[in-house]
Amino acid sequence: MKSTRLRIPMRAAPYVFLLPFLGLFFIFGLFPMLFSLFLSFQSWEPTAGLGSMQYVGWSNFTFAMSDEWFWKSFKNTLWLTLASGIPQHLLAIPLACFIHTAFVRLRNLAVGVYFVPYITSTVAIAIMFGSLFSTDYGLINQGLQQLAKLPLIGAIFPQQNIDWINNPDHLKPVIAMIVFWRYVGFNIVLYLAALQTIPEDIYEAATMDGASRLQQFFHITLPSLRPMIYFGVTLTLIGGLQLFEEPFILTNGNGGSDQAGMTSAIYLYRMAFDFNDFGAASAMSWILFVIIAALTYLTNRAFRERSNVKEAD
Amino acid sequence: MQGTIQWRRALCRVAQQLPCILLAALLSPAAHAGPTLTVAAFPAVDEIVRAAMPEWKKIHPDVEIKVVSRQIVDHHSAMTTALSTSSHLPDVMTLEVGYLGRFAQGGGLEDLGAPQYGMHNYQALYVPYAIAQATSKNGAISAAPSDIGPGTLLYRTDLLARSGVTEAELNASWDSFVDAGIKIKQATGAYLVSHVQDIKEIVIRTGVRPGEGLYFDAQSHVLVKSPRFVRAFQLAKKVRQYKLDARSTQWSTEWSESFKRGTLATQMSGAWLAGHLENWLAPNTAGLWRATQLPEHGWAGFGGTFFAIPKGIPAQQKQLAWELIKFLTQNPKMQLAAFKDQNAFPALLSTYNDPFFDQPIAFLGGQQARLIWREAAGHIQAVAVHKQDKFAEEVVNTELDKVLDQGKDINAALDDAYRLLEKRALR
Amino acid sequence: MKTNQITRYLVYVLVAAGAVVMLTPFYFMFVFATHSRTDIFSLPPPLFFGKDFLLNLKIIEDHIPFWRNLGWSLYVALLSTLLTLIFCSMGGYAFAMFRFRGKNLLFSLVMGTMLLPSFMNMIPTFMIMDALGWIDQPRALYIPGAASAFGIFLMRQFISSSIPKDLIEAARMDGCSETGIYWRIVLPLLKPAMGTLGLITFIASWNNFIGPLIVMRSAEMATLPLALRNLQSPVNTEWGALMTGSAIATIPLLILFLISSRQLISGLTTGAVK
Repeated sequence: MKSTRLRIPMRAAPYVFLLPFLGLFFIFGLFPMLFSLFLSFQSWEPTAGLGSMQYVGWSNFTFAMSDEWFWKSFKNTLWLTLASGIPQHLLAIPLACFIHTAFVRLRNLAVGVYFVPYITSTVAIAIMFGSLFSTDYGLINQGLQQLAKLPLIGAIFPQQNIDWINNPDHLKPVIAMIVFWRYVGFNIVLYLAALQTIPEDIYEAATMDGASRLQQFFHITLPSLRPMIYFGVTLTLIGGLQLFEEPFILTNGNGGSDQAGMTSAIYLYRMAFDFNDFGAASAMSWILFVIIAALTYLTNRAFRERSNVKEAD
Repeated sequence: MQGTIQWRRALCRVAQQLPCILLAALLSPAAHAGPTLTVAAFPAVDEIVRAAMPEWKKIHPDVEIKVVSRQIVDHHSAMTTALSTSSHLPDVMTLEVGYLGRFAQGGGLEDLGAPQYGMHNYQALYVPYAIAQATSKNGAISAAPSDIGPGTLLYRTDLLARSGVTEAELNASWDSFVDAGIKIKQATGAYLVSHVQDIKEIVIRTGVRPGEGLYFDAQSHVLVKSPRFVRAFQLAKKVRQYKLDARSTQWSTEWSESFKRGTLATQMSGAWLAGHLENWLAPNTAGLWRATQLPEHGWAGFGGTFFAIPKGIPAQQKQLAWELIKFLTQNPKMQLAAFKDQNAFPALLSTYNDPFFDQPIAFLGGQQARLIWREAAGHIQAVAVHKQDKFAEEVVNTELDKVLDQGKDINAALDDAYRLLEKRALR
Repeated sequence: MKTNQITRYLVYVLVAAGAVVMLTPFYFMFVFATHSRTDIFSLPPPLFFGKDFLLNLKIIEDHIPFWRNLGWSLYVALLSTLLTLIFCSMGGYAFAMFRFRGKNLLFSLVMGTMLLPSFMNMIPTFMIMDALGWIDQPRALYIPGAASAFGIFLMRQFISSSIPKDLIEAARMDGCSETGIYWRIVLPLLKPAMGTLGLITFIASWNNFIGPLIVMRSAEMATLPLALRNLQSPVNTEWGALMTGSAIATIPLLILFLISSRQLISGLTTGAVK
């Protein structure tokens, strides 16, 4: 250690470490936030230039709160978040544990395979799933048709081709499936990274004490994973409530028949870029912000109840 | 420790500069002396502009043209952004007809009718409805039309022949169109249309009074309970009842497959669809298609490109931009070149006498289809644009789906649409 | 323990079945990349590789400066990852291990940016970049991204849950400087988190198209996702070429994943607490 170097005192240390990040954040992160907040109180047609903004007080917010489509899209979003998020974590945790213990040489491959959907391009996904779920010729319906022909169990399968994409009732499950497919691998990677930090000795000690695999899972693994679960669930919550890409590409940007696939984010996007109402779109994004923040706070509370000893603060 | 961090940062800086240095070395074109015109466009207009460059150089050898091309939606987003801050604006802005109304109303585009441009002297050169589309309520002409998309009905002669249906039956009236569809379905099993929405779109455009928009009138009153909407919904219901539509969305795999397999008897679209069918959608069906006018004289346009000049650019650039726009839109040679190469139907009336229009089109069995489309171009009416049109379109489509799929009563559906649109009409 | 064996095999089978489901669209992306658009649009779609790969490649190269765009994507993604790893690990460490005034408020503010959709930032971001003179420059893409709320959240979580405070205290008492603690103690323990964040940041930067859309003006400076969109048009999309471009664009991500997964899934971190 060079003694001529200036030593950062402990009290100043956090600020020094945060400086680069915060510097960038204030310029590139905060300004757009404030702009959007300001815009939510204005009426604005962007092609007319910045000067054409007109102050309209709370009217954008009152419009949003009384707008049928706003709440419709929010309900869709909630449904999709739960329907795609819960299975993601229910599957990712056991799977990560299984891969962690069962595969040694093939571990990379196993995780890789599940991670591949995350890196598949959205364009490819759109074409693929559009083709797979096609009513008359899609592979899924063809498969179901074959299954329906089987004796006995064939009866539980639908006899007609299902219209997956254009029927409002079917579109939502399809989207949930795609989102699940896309992100389950992401969560496996997160949990696997966390599993790496649990020392083997604890498991060995537990085995010696006579604990079964299942007991070890519930009493050692899960509690140790708690911070990562909190992280993963928060991300899924935030990501789910802001779901945009998958339904957007599946419905060609319009949210589908009867707006079945229109999430809040898609509606917001359409408000701004299709219906040219930037003021209302900003107001809606802030209403959404409040809702998501509240839900995130509740999640935070739920996970902090019995906080891990290692957690700072 | 700190030294390593500093070293890393320095490396970052060098890494940053390196490509720039390399790039500058590689690119370094000879410095261009004269002015440059930046044209913002999207495929295939970018090709049209690029193809026009050699001819342009002959008249203006010192003016360079730079084409910035983006995907069509991205292009309009970028233009919106540029107009919103009056920064990084192109000299010539390409606009698709769907976005034209909104951009024109925004007030960020030059009025080409002003004395320094004199569009009023030229407007008779263009197809009337295209000029009307570019003209706002206060009479300002915000853009010059470059190409149009006259609506046409493409149909399969072989399927019609097998069903004993004549072309006249097809487009005499909507009712005869639907009846023909029933016959075709019975005889060949083929669908009449790909989706009832196509029919709805055309029918709601008939009988629009001057000054009225599709969904709103000039005072923002909602028009969705007018007879044309009721008729459109009734026709759609009948078509769905007899299962005459394939329920496939345009540009989906099912839609394109139905062309290849001959399970679709007609398609209403812009004239340019014939080119696509020939090139990649269904080349195997060459010679089986013909073009005709839309049923019951339902004249409609499907697309169209315009060129505009933004207000926020320097004055001398504006004059040059206007020269380029005149060159691209008023020069028959350029308009015909775009037609021949990119299937961009000209907006310039003087081209309509060119022998190219009389040429038989092989894919359509040697039919002189361009004459049909030329006729259609003259009859299309421009419809006034309202800010909430896109939203209205969506609402009406949703209500139509409910009528068709859930058996909702037509009047109830239109009432609901009216209610939703009324709330937004004045935003 | 026969039932154990059976359950084990059953789980293996399920995992394998899941793997097939995961891989199918990916497989088809590469299959479609070798077909012309007429083939892709037919039903049933082609199941095996075709012969139009080079043709598609030519179509791509005719439309966009593909390889240059690939180069820019690589450049931006690498720098973005590097900066994000540095800034977020430092910031995450500060949030996790120190107490200071305004800490919670600041963290909430940062997290707040994650709660707003990114496309709403298009116009203000454009204004900032214009004011800085960064339009059409790659730095407009990789510098702002370094202030990643996700990154700092991940780092904070990871640090606070896997690095015990006593370790830091002990080091301080031993006379280690603050930067020394960060560099010698915290960073080495962060390997899995760094690997994860690096991977995710790279992928996010690679697939980002809104950023380049706002900031880049010329086709030469665009990154891949933006450039590939130029192959799309409402009526005339070059599907075959588009799939080929998308497939090629995925390959670096795959390579990166294979490399970093070794980092991620490397053995056990024994004796960390000691």
